[in-house]
Amino acid sequence: MLLVVVLAIAWQAPDVGWLRDSTTDSEDAERMTSVLDALVDEPLVLIGFDADVGTYAEIRPTVRALLADLLARDGRLAFVSLTAEGRSLTSAELARLGRGEANPTRLLDLGFIPGAEAGLVDLTRDVRVGEGDDGVFAQEVEGAGIGAFDAILVIGGNDLGPRSWVEQVIPRIGDVPLITVTPTVLLPEVQPYLIGEQLAAGLITPRDGAAYRQSLELGNLERLVEPTEPRPLPVLVGMLIAVAVLGQTLASRTLGGVRSAGSRSVG
Amino acid sequence: MSGFFGTTAADTVAIWIAAIVTLIVLGALIGERRLFGWSQHLLAGLATGFLALIAVTEVIGPRLVQPLVADPTGRPELWAGVALVAAAAGAPWLPRQLSIVPASIAIGALAAFALGGAVIGTLLPQIDASIVRPGDSVATTVAGASAAVVTALVLIGFLHGRPRGRVLSSVAGAGRWLLIAGLGGWLGFLIVSRLILLVDRIGFLVGDWLGLSR
Repeated sequence: MLLVVVLAIAWQAPDVGWLRDSTTDSEDAERMTSVLDALVDEPLVLIGFDADVGTYAEIRPTVRALLADLLARDGRLAFVSLTAEGRSLTSAELARLGRGEANPTRLLDLGFIPGAEAGLVDLTRDVRVGEGDDGVFAQEVEGAGIGAFDAILVIGGNDLGPRSWVEQVIPRIGDVPLITVTPTVLLPEVQPYLIGEQLAAGLITPRDGAAYRQSLELGNLERLVEPTEPRPLPVLVGMLIAVAVLGQTLASRTLGGVRSAGSRSVG
Repeated sequence: MSGFFGTTAADTVAIWIAAIVTLIVLGALIGERRLFGWSQHLLAGLATGFLALIAVTEVIGPRLVQPLVADPTGRPELWAGVALVAAAAGAPWLPRQLSIVPASIAIGALAAFALGGAVIGTLLPQIDASIVRPGDSVATTVAGASAAVVTALVLIGFLHGRPRGRVLSSVAGAGRWLLIAGLGGWLGFLIVSRLILLVDRIGFLVGDWLGLSR
């Protein structure tokens, strides 16, 4: 409970100038920007939204900034989820975009697809659009299927993240850039795909996300991003407390070992 | 501010409910277990209800019932789907040989797609990417060689119950230590994610609920 109180105080404390999430030389943030710059005008982007409720807080500011960036590039975004958690977060984010008065003709909700990996394979063969969606965007997607899309963005964190899309979708559809935003916990899983260029770009660590957000100029679409940046101070304080607890445990174990060895030698 | 809430009366009620449940969960830290237990039941109930809602409104309705109603003879495979849904729903009362059919098909399909995808999408491309080629930089060569050595050691570390010599035992021990080091690093990443979640919840209580913006 003391930790919660300390973190609340740190959350309210004034900003510390030397402490910030971002650096100006994030290679991954630059790579993401170059992939987005290379897209055609008014790109159609399929968004596999399968974030995890337990880690979404970490990537939420970056996800919202990326969605706003895509909309600022006159992109049209189709959302699909393969997990129930992802579906609930998609609904919440679409509602938020609606409250932010994002252009509804540029958003398409493809809903939930069951079947996990089999559902992903099904998606490469046929993209089903809801009956209520009869706009130009919906007709285009229904007609051309997954081939209509110029890029795929995977919001990861759940079981069906970038790895599943790399394994099931990319071998079946060819040269469509696959980009991702995932929490840090998936870094060991996603990094090899980034190095091997199976993923065109990815924002995985809080530092990369912050660097990407700092590079954006969204104009009047600033309203779609989070009004305040995440605070690094409470996270730093929490990490220091975690390290202190770990150190205290190690020290007490070492001291216990030394004492018992000492008593044995005396005996 | 999480941005999940608007300014309507319904949103205000939602913020209050979320704040109360967050406080109940945090209350477990000071020993209040009964309310925490109820909040776990609430979460399980809501998740089950949401899953059922998705299954009915986004899968069974539009993908099974509606096409059948529109054209009962056009897609005979959907009748097989109806039979599988019925077998899954009636599993507690049906003979085991019948009730395991839907789960068997689901698990079999999942394993087949996952295994095939892992080989074609991950294993082969990653092996190809890690092969050291002539003309690669020294750093790339060292990284590739290190990856191969670590992978081999960890795989050997999984050898259990086989007759071993002293050398193989040492190699397997090194592999297990490398595995533990990897898991330790991964847990470090997990702490970062969970800490950010806790800070976000505190931000929700202080910002969204109490309105004390910084």
